[in-house]
Formats: sequence, C-alpha cells, structure tokens
Amino acid sequence: MRRRIAFACVCLVGIVSAPALARAEVPVHIRIIKGSKNGPAKMDDSLLVLKKQLSPLAYVQWTQETDEKRTMSKGKIEFFKLPNGDDVSLQLRDEQPDKVTFEVVLLARKTHNKLTVERGQRIVHQVSGEKDGSAFFLTVIVWPDAR
Amino acid sequence: MRSCVRIAPMIGSRPGELPAEDARALAAHLETCAACRALAARFEATDGLVAEALLARANARDFAPFVDQVMARVGHRSPRAAARTDRRSLLDALRERWRIAVPALAAAVVLAAVGTFMYGGEHVVAEPEQRLASLEVELSGEGSIVLQTSDGPVVLLAPDDDTGS
Amino acid sequence: MNFRSRQDVPTAEDDDLALVQRARSGDAEGFRALVVRYQRKVYAVALGIVKDADLAWDVAQDVFVRVHRGLDGFKGESAFGTWLFRIATHVAIDSVRRERVTQRDDVDDVHEGDLEDAGEGILSTSLGNDPRETLLRHELAAKMEAALATLPEKHRTILVLREIEGLSYEELAERLGIHKGTVMSRLFHARKKMQAALRGYAGVPHRTPAPADVERRATEREVEE
Repeated sequence: MRRRIAFACVCLVGIVSAPALARAEVPVHIRIIKGSKNGPAKMDDSLLVLKKQLSPLAYVQWTQETDEKRTMSKGKIEFFKLPNGDDVSLQLRDEQPDKVTFEVVLLARKTHNKLTVERGQRIVHQVSGEKDGSAFFLTVIVWPDAR
Repeated sequence: MRSCVRIAPMIGSRPGELPAEDARALAAHLETCAACRALAARFEATDGLVAEALLARANARDFAPFVDQVMARVGHRSPRAAARTDRRSLLDALRERWRIAVPALAAAVVLAAVGTFMYGGEHVVAEPEQRLASLEVELSGEGSIVLQTSDGPVVLLAPDDDTGS
Repeated sequence: MNFRSRQDVPTAEDDDLALVQRARSGDAEGFRALVVRYQRKVYAVALGIVKDADLAWDVAQDVFVRVHRGLDGFKGESAFGTWLFRIATHVAIDSVRRERVTQRDDVDDVHEGDLEDAGEGILSTSLGNDPRETLLRHELAAKMEAALATLPEKHRTILVLREIEGLSYEELAERLGIHKGTVMSRLFHARKKMQAALRGYAGVPHRTPAPADVERRATEREVEE
C-alpha cells in the first residue's frame, strides 16, 4: 500500500513538473573576452579559470570585456554587442538533465554553430575575425552554481 | 663590398645581441649602403611570418585526441574514460533501487516528453539511441575549427580572406 | 630546484613548475595540463623542421613521452619550456636526419655572391610603399610553410627556433652546439633562401646570373681563399 502511494506521488510530481521541465530556466555565465597576440603575456585574474582552454591558443594577452549572468530558457535568443560593433546571438536549443545545447550565431559572418556540452563544461567561441593581432571570444558556462 | 660581406650576417640582430662595436659598425654601414639597407628592410618585412604560418597550422589542426594519446602512451587513463566508469557506477546504484526508481523514472520521462511537446517552442526530435559524447558539434556557415579540451570546446574561426574585419 | 620569488601575478614559469611538481608526484592532471599548454607550439616547431604534418604529430607525441620519462631528472635550472623545446629540437632533428637523402651541405660562410640582387625585395618590387603591404604579408604567411619546406634542414631548423621560440644568437648557439658566428651566418643564408623561395610566389622572376658573372664570382672566391 505504501509503495502504491509513493508511486502515485511520484507520478503527481511528474505531472506538475513536466511543463517546468520543458521550460527549464538555465542560469548561464557569459563573458566577452579579448585575446591579443601583442604585448606581454598576461591574463586578467578573473579569467584564470579559463586557462586550460585559452593557453593552447596563439593569443598571449587576455582581458575581460564584459561579464554577465543571465537566465536562459529554451528557444529564447540572447544578443550581445561586441566592442567592435558586431552582434552575436546565443540561443538555448536543447536542455537535458546533464547537458545543454547552444547555438552561436555570428551575424556578420553568417556562422551558425551548435554545440552540446556537459554540465560543468564551458564553451569558448571566437566571435570576431582577427584584427591587428586581436580577436574577441564569447564564453558560456551553464549552471555556474553547484547543485 | 668586402664590408658588406662582414656586415651582412649582423642584419636582423636584436638589440643587445651584438657587441657595442659591431652594433655601431652595422648602423654606420646601413647609413651608407643602399643594398644592405634594402636587405635589412626585406628581412624585417618578413620577420615573424614563419612563426605565424606554423602556429596558424598548429591552431587549425584538431588536437582533441593528442593529449589522450600521449597519456595513453605514458600509462594514464583519460578523465573521460574515468567519467564513463563513474556513470556506470551510478547506473549500478540505481539498479539496486529498481523497484521504485524504474517505474517512477519511466513515468517522469513520458510526462516530460508530453510536456515538452505541448509547451516547447520546437519539437524535440528524438535522436537515435547512441552513446552520448561529452561534446556534439554542428558547424555551418563560414569555416570554424573546434579544439576539444577537458574543460569544454574552443571554437576558432578560420582566418579571414581579407583584412577588413 | 630553484624557484623564482613570487610576484603579484604568478608567471607562466611558476605555473609550469607547479604543474611539474604535480606531475612528478603522479598527478596525471598536472602532466595533462602541461601537454595541453605546449602541444601546439611543440607541433609547430616539429612541423617547421620535419615538414610533414603526420610526422610532426608523431614527433610531438614522442617529445611529451620523453618529457614524462625525464621529469624526475628536470632540475629547474632552466625554465620548463626551455627544457621542453630543447628536447623537441633534438627529437625533430633526429627524425628528419634519419629520413634525409644525402645532399650536399651548404657552407655557412657568407660570400660576395650571396649579396647579389640584394636590392630586389618581394615587397619593394611589388608594392614599394603600397598600403597593400599588409595584405601581401597575409598572403605571404600563407605561402611560408611551402617556402620553408624548400630549405635544407639546418636552415629550416635555425629559422624555426629563432622565430617560434624567439631564441637569441647565444641561445641558438647553445641549443645547436655551434658557434655564435655560425648562427649569424646560417640565419643569414636561411633568410636569403626564404626570400628567394617567396619571390616565386610573389610573381617576381628569379634572377639567374649570366655565365660570365658566375665565372667572375668563382674567381673572386678563389682569390679570397
């Protein structure tokens, strides 16, 4: 009898939470950073967590341009203005319990890239061509707070 | 011309690399010799291009498997292989509680699928059952290069054809 | 082991040493981090020396395997990067020399004949002070690898080390086991050959010396020697 009640409760929770699951709000941490091949090698302190992903690249100097936390839901597009005036859009395409799919669109370059990452992984995406040895990148990490 | 023969190997030296006397001799010679001045200009114009070209090639190459191959050769398992072991352990733990977990999980999955169909902006297209990779990438439009690191992917844009941007 | 004193922001070298310590104590993530940090640059050096992309990949892997094996012996007297690229240089050179077809060695000395057509440059001929110089630089960069591959191994090697690692004359002399004067003249020859190879890509015709000139230069060299 107890097991039947427990099973019924689980189903009820499932019914109530299904829409919420479908429209899950995903907290994301987004930065725009600038990499430069010129100048002494250094990295803003706030970017040290990205060292593993950035150090293999040819850029030696890294600075943070913007830093935001947003909540994204499936289908919703977020726009970001780059310091060079270009626009980049980010859309949450799919969301599963431990992975999420983003689409990054670079409007000036007609580039659409869809990337699926696991919880705890970060996407680092170049979002501008290189000019005078520098380029801009977008970084996205989901569920920044451990749960 | 004989002084050109002596001076030529000094062209392209960096500050501090030549003894003071040679540095002065080089500077004095370049003031009077157009041929060596032209040579110095050519060297300076192409300085760094070798590094630029080779590093660009290195950046364009997919290095995703490199570190795993090295680690395998030196006898270390990749973190991804270790993570797969951890996922299997989780399934084992679930199996122990199958009497309650399986029916509840099945119900939740069905309800989530129904809920998504009703409320989602797009249909969720069921993907064929396949082993999930930690990273899936679909690229379209102008060229992009993906580097895979254990912290996540790094997507680079192919070099511009023009210098406009 | 000698450690530099800590500054406000840790240097890349401090970071390397920390990873070396971790790798030494069996921490796989420490060694993995070192590999990821240096893998592309090691590959780039190898590619410049051995020319072939697949061989360069294998060479780069061999380098890190040797580094792993030799970690206990790394005393920290030089920077980790310096030690790493020293190994990379030797592995790459050994690899290409094993496969090299015997060819006449170029002399390192510089002679008058080497300074012929010094006034003709790719950029000065094609562009002068043209602002398209930047565009040509990009185009040339795309041709550099092919041009580099036409050079003999010892010229490729010295140019690659000079440019990618930024080694000074003294460091090149120490790395390659040659005199500083030989470094300078070998670099000169390497750059001249690159200019000649790139001239073809820029559409500037090579200047073939007239037979009379060749004979005159040979006579001059004999007189000098």
